[in-house]
Parts: sequence; structure tokens; C-alpha cells
Amino acid sequence: MTARAVFDFSEHQARARRQTAVLVLLFLLITLAISLLTGVVAGFLFGGAAEHVGHQTAAVPGGLEGMVEQIDWNLALTVAVLVAGIILATAAIRALMLGGNGATVARAMGGTEVTRDTRNPAKRRLYNVVEEVAIAATLPMPRVFVIKHEKGINAFAAGLRPGTAAIGITHGALASLTRDELQGVVAHEFAHINNGDMRLNLRLMAMIFGLVALSVAGRMVMRSVFFTGRGRRDQRAVLVAMAVGLTLVVLGALGVFAGRLLQAAISRQREHLADATAVQFTRQPGPLANALKKIGALQRDEQLQNPHGEEIRHMLFAEAVARRSPGLLATHPPLIDRIRALDPAFNPKTDPVWRQPQREMIRESRRGLRKQSEGSSGLDIADA
Amino acid sequence: MEMLLIILVLLALMAIGVWLYNRLIRKRNAFRNAFAQIDVQLKRRHDLIPNLVESVKGYMSHERETLTEVIEARNSAEQVRQQASGTPGDPATMAELGRAEGTLGGVLSRLFALSESYPELRASENFRQLQEELTSTENRVSYARQAYNDAVMKYNNAVQTVPSNAVASMFNFGVVAMLEFEDREQLQQAPRVSFS
Repeated sequence: MTARAVFDFSEHQARARRQTAVLVLLFLLITLAISLLTGVVAGFLFGGAAEHVGHQTAAVPGGLEGMVEQIDWNLALTVAVLVAGIILATAAIRALMLGGNGATVARAMGGTEVTRDTRNPAKRRLYNVVEEVAIAATLPMPRVFVIKHEKGINAFAAGLRPGTAAIGITHGALASLTRDELQGVVAHEFAHINNGDMRLNLRLMAMIFGLVALSVAGRMVMRSVFFTGRGRRDQRAVLVAMAVGLTLVVLGALGVFAGRLLQAAISRQREHLADATAVQFTRQPGPLANALKKIGALQRDEQLQNPHGEEIRHMLFAEAVARRSPGLLATHPPLIDRIRALDPAFNPKTDPVWRQPQREMIRESRRGLRKQSEGSSGLDIADA
Repeated sequence: MEMLLIILVLLALMAIGVWLYNRLIRKRNAFRNAFAQIDVQLKRRHDLIPNLVESVKGYMSHERETLTEVIEARNSAEQVRQQASGTPGDPATMAELGRAEGTLGGVLSRLFALSESYPELRASENFRQLQEELTSTENRVSYARQAYNDAVMKYNNAVQTVPSNAVASMFNFGVVAMLEFEDREQLQQAPRVSFS
């Protein structure tokens, strides 16, 4: 009861939402800045070139003022609109392509579906837990998947709308978490569904794809000029076109880099938000904190084996690709920070769960399912 | 001119009145729907208990008294539930339902505590399944109750605050009761006891 008073989920939610809004705005500003910059460069180069063709002998005015004078503003504006159009159009196409339903994504990740009539006690418990949290979140029941052959503790939510959402849990999570901890993890994934994080992430990924397309377009311009411009006398125009291509390549690459940084920053914010929302659903921060501690305890040997690990890591419950330091490209906040937000008294040096061996976790998890002495040890409970 | 002004003001007042009335109706529907969710889960709970008693009987022959108590508490809780599903939010019925469910939860947790001393029973697959289903149902009931109480609070706020309280008293929107289970502490511990 006291923990509930300590963790104020609505305040955490408000802060995470505010920061996300700022980051999304920044993303749009980057796109706008790149479009305008490309436009100005094109306007300057082509405007200047046209003038030189017209008045071969005219002296070029020096300094910044002169450069501004040389810009062909109509052209600059056209190019800027064109570039923004390319970025947004490719982003939209990409978003349409990626926007499948959650079950498809879960299957692509190697998930097998769990249904209401499962006979396996661990899966039955999982299905029940998902139904319970669906009531708490007042969301429709998503499809449920288990990722087999995955010893680490992890989970993900997929699908763009609550109606088509799916929740996936690794086999390791099923075997190593107690009922309440499982509930905390499932509530975290429900929070992503509730907060529209998959949609947000898809948009950001699509924007980055748009920026990638921009630098590809730049490379294409350069290449075509390189091959067609050789025999021509008008070296000046060739150079200008090359410069425009190069600008596109450089700005596109810069944009992609900035975009990745922002995507990661937004993703980290959304994780904090999802933790807070999960507590809103279950009203108990303790088990969620414990689940995170167990992840920390396993982190040495826990690595998502899935080949899609890099692409889908933003969707996961915890960072799957091992990182030495919580860098700017990490999609999840450092575990310790997340645990401290839920359990301010957490101390990694003395916390028993943080140093628990997996064998013990499995034993604890199974206690709720079958008699302790029965069955062999290991991770086999979910495969029965 | 003055006439027109008066008509306009009256129209505006009517529009506000209609809006407030509709808002109250929406909130009332919301808490009624939330109660229907609790009703579904309570029914599920009551349907599970005869199965539980049936599967436990063979092992726990010495605990006949407790088993009868469980069945009695279940039957009276089911009666109250049927009564309450017609009158969601009625203070007397809600209190009675809370009491009946509280008693049932208390007896159930006693039964699970007693089951600790019957290792054969605890090893039976059927028992474990029922235990999981009951644990899950407890959670569902408490989450559904959380949603119902939130909806009731919003509705009551609308009924009691200015200006919608005027519309509420005009059309007989009364304050409704939240659902609290007596013996709540014990009820919340029921699944925990059964785990150890």
C-alpha cells in the first residue's frame, strides 16, 4: 500500500507525454530544415550558374550578401517543396507497407499462438493474465504468442490498433517470472498498446526511411550526371548537378543520423511512460520492478537470439541487443533507472532479486503451477 | 428586440440543459456497463466453486464443515448477485453484495489454507487448474471493480457538482454506491496463501 503512494503514475505519464511531444516536433523540424537547406543550395547553385551563362563577364558580388543575392528563390522554394514531398511520400508508402496486424508480426518473430483452450498450465496462466489486464486496461483482448527457444526474459506488443494487437512473451519470461511479475510485464505491453506506441514508432521509422530515400536520390543524381555529363562541354552545369547530388547525400545522411538519435530518445521516453501506465493498470509497482530486476540478473547470458533483434528492439520490453553503455542510440532507458522509478529504495549491491540465479527463478515460478519436487529442472515447462 | 434576446437566452439555457442531461445519461450508462462486467466475473467465480468443492471432496473428507460453509457462502452470494444485477449502484444491494462476496472470499481462503496439509490434493492437476482459474477470477473481479468504482465516482461527481446537479435533481439522478468488499485484506491474500 505504501508503494502505491510513492509511485505517482499520473505525474510520470504527464512528463513522458510532454517530452515525447517535444521530440516529435524536433523530428518534423529536421525534415523541414533539410528540405529548406536543399532548396537554398539548389537555388544558389542553379541561380548562380544561370547568371554566369547569361553574363559571362559580370563580376560576381563577394561576401555573404552577394551569395544571398545570387539565390534563385523561386527555384529554392520549388526544390524545398519537392524534397519535403519525397521524404513524406516515401515515409507514407513505407508506413502502409509495415502496417500489418500484430499477429503477422508475432509469427514473423517465431511466435506460436496461445489460445483459450491450451492444456499447458504455464500458457493457461499467461492467457489468464492477459485477459485480466485487458479488463484492467479496458482494452480488447489481443492475440497472445510465445516465442519458443528464447531463454531471456522479454516481451513485445505488435499491431497498430488495439483491435489488431498481439502480445508476445519469450519462453524464458514464462518460465522465470511469478504470476504477479508476468502480470506486470503484460501490463507494460498493454500500456504500449494503450499509448499508441507502435503507431508512433512506425511513423518515426517511416520518416527515417524517407530520409534514407533522400540520400539515395542524391546518389542517383550524382551517378547519372557522372555517366551522361562526360562528353558534354558544359562542365559548369555538370559540376552544379554533382554538387546538388552531393548535398542531398550529405543532408540525407545527417538527417538519418539525427533521426535515429531522436527515435531512440522517443523510444526511451515511451518506455518510462509504459512502466507508469502499467502501474496504473495493476496498481502494484513491486512485481514490475521485480521482473526488471530479474532481467538484470540474467543479463550476462541473456541475448535475444532472433536474427530480427536489431530491427525490432524498440518493441521489446527490455533492451535485447547488449550494450556496454547506455548510449544515445539505446531504445530503452537503463534498467537501473527504470527500477529506481518503480522502487526508489532499490540498491543493486544488496537486492536479492537482482542477483538471483535463473534456476531459482524457475523454481519460484513453478511453485504456482505444479508441485515443487515433480518434473525435471530446466526450462521445459512451457513446451509440454 | 428584447423579446428576441429573451428567446435567445432561453434557447441557450435549454441547449445547456440538454447537454448536461446527456452527459449524465452517458455517465450512468458507463457505470452500469462497468457493473455488468463485474457481474460476468462474479458469475464465473460462482460457477467455478461447485467444481472446486466436487474435486476437493474426495481428499478433504475431514473438512466437511468448511466445504458446506463454502457452498453456503457461494449460494447466498449467487442469490445476491442475481438480485444486484437488476439494480446496479443501489446502496443497500451493493453493501449486501460486498458483504456476501467478502464472506465467500474469506471462506475460500480458509479452504485453500487447509489444502496445504493435503499434498495429494495439491498434486492433482484438476485442483491446480481450478486454483489458477480462481486466482485469475479474483484478479478479474478486482480489476472490474476498479473500473466500476472509477465510473461511479465520475457519475457521482456529475450528479453532485454545479451546474449538473440541478439537472440531476430535476430528472431524479441519484447518487450511487461503490462496491467495496468486506474482508478485503483477507480476500486479496487468498491467492497468495494458495501459492506457498
